[in-house]
Amino acid sequence: MDETVAEFIKRTILKIPMTEMMTILKAWDFLPENQLQTVNFRQRKESLVQDLVLLCESKRASLRDAALLDIIYTQFHQHQKVWDVFQMSKEPGEDVDLFDMERFKSSFEKILRRALKNVTVSFRDAEENAVWIRIAWGTQYRKPNQYKPVYVVYYSQTPYAFTSFCHLKSNTPLLSQALTVASNHHKIVKMDLRSRYLDSLKAIVFKQYNQLETKFRSDFHGGILAERKEPLRCLIKFSSPHLLEALKSLAPAGIADAPLSPLLTCIPNKGMNYFKIRDK
Amino acid sequence: TAGLNLGLRVLAHLERLETQMSRSCKNLEDPPRETAESDLGTKIHKLRCLRDKLRAEVKQRQARIKASTANAEPDQTLEISEQEAVGGKEENMKAILQAYRFTGLSGKRTSRGVCVCISTAFEGNLLDSYFVDLVIQKPLRIHHHSVPVFIPLEEISAKYLQTNIQHFLFCLCEYLNAYAGRKYQADQLQRDFAAFLAGPLQRNSLCNLLSFTYKVEPQGRSFPFCARLLYKDLTTTLPTDVTITYQGTDASSTSWEEQRASHENLFFTKPLYQVFTSFARNGERLDMSLVS
Repeated sequence: MDETVAEFIKRTILKIPMTEMMTILKAWDFLPENQLQTVNFRQRKESLVQDLVLLCESKRASLRDAALLDIIYTQFHQHQKVWDVFQMSKEPGEDVDLFDMERFKSSFEKILRRALKNVTVSFRDAEENAVWIRIAWGTQYRKPNQYKPVYVVYYSQTPYAFTSFCHLKSNTPLLSQALTVASNHHKIVKMDLRSRYLDSLKAIVFKQYNQLETKFRSDFHGGILAERKEPLRCLIKFSSPHLLEALKSLAPAGIADAPLSPLLTCIPNKGMNYFKIRDK
Repeated sequence: TAGLNLGLRVLAHLERLETQMSRSCKNLEDPPRETAESDLGTKIHKLRCLRDKLRAEVKQRQARIKASTANAEPDQTLEISEQEAVGGKEENMKAILQAYRFTGLSGKRTSRGVCVCISTAFEGNLLDSYFVDLVIQKPLRIHHHSVPVFIPLEEISAKYLQTNIQHFLFCLCEYLNAYAGRKYQADQLQRDFAAFLAGPLQRNSLCNLLSFTYKVEPQGRSFPFCARLLYKDLTTTLPTDVTITYQGTDASSTSWEEQRASHENLFFTKPLYQVFTSFARNGERLDMSLVS
């Protein structure tokens, strides 16, 4: 096993919290169950990692296997990345999209390789007919940097792709081209939509709403906010698994004055959550 | 008001003429000449008729102005007819929904319009439901929906929503039912006939491309057939293109070719679970023949 691959695997496993170690290794499915059982998971993390790396060496883990582990780690820790959304479009009146996942993957990789010899492309199928793509960029003279990869999550036969924030902006046009061509689209634009939470972005662009009926409640007597002489000045931070829905329910719940600021309410309709507010 | 002013001016002119006439009649001692009198007479008659007509018109306009100033909105008549049109659309919608309840289409009134629920089914199995929340306005628009993003809802709306809501609902029903049926077949194949497949089924969001490697004898070790099913018509649950290839290593090619061809025909004409059920049954029959 290549030294760089060994180092890469070691650093990836070190990132994994102990509570998730077994789950992630099982999902990776590279080290078989019976071998994992021979490892002492109660020892110090550094020693455990050493044992695991030795096992990987004995099984001749490749860069491909290491990249797959990295994808799985990122899938478990998707909130550590900031995700952008790209929207693709087709020419009107095109034929029915017969999306073939294998052809998409090979086409995507081919387009990247044609432009850049030093690139590592890895795929992992996900539920709902989606695919996670991991790209490690290199240059003409340097091997790919495995520690600064870009991730793309694409749901087949949809116009949206979610990409993790990339420091190397120079590779974005190539990535965009590969995505567009491989998925049978013609154009691609970056949306003003960004979040750490893929599920929220999905809910907004796929317009998945629950069938809610809001009721206006007017009994809100007493409490610390009622009947004050002076207004209460404070900074309020909102956080929620479903922040937009929660904000929408503030006015009907009698907690906020309606209408809410359009900055908050326009997010689902406009598909934007990234605003630049300037002084006039 | 311009007409009103004109009318009043003409009336004033007529009155002046009348007073002039009566004055000139009083002043003239001699009987007027016949032709002059008859000329003036006709003129007066004509003017009187015009005066009566204008008076009537003035009265009408005054009445209309009174009526419209009594109501606050100046465009009341225009709004009423729009409301009637909207009300008409609602009634139409109700009638459509009542008629189509049996095809899996139902709806309920909302404050904005109507929320239509499309229940899908395939071969007697009730599958997922989807809703479309319509706002009855000009133009008719979709407020919320739970239609999957890969169903061409925007295309269908652009074609039919404004002009033929019946067709819009029908078309959407077709797409959703067909998608649900294809998905059901693919899920069922993966779940109930996994033993016949080498690995997972390759599919996509619309379930309109399925690719898998399979065998027909559950006890067989190899998976000699490759299937590639394309559903180019998104409103159907049977494939439009079927390609079966034989990748086995058996020397006797004619029987395999016959099987391959018969498989193709099966996939074209029957839902997936029926195709594999018949494979399983044929396998049983084969076993029985070996025993006897």
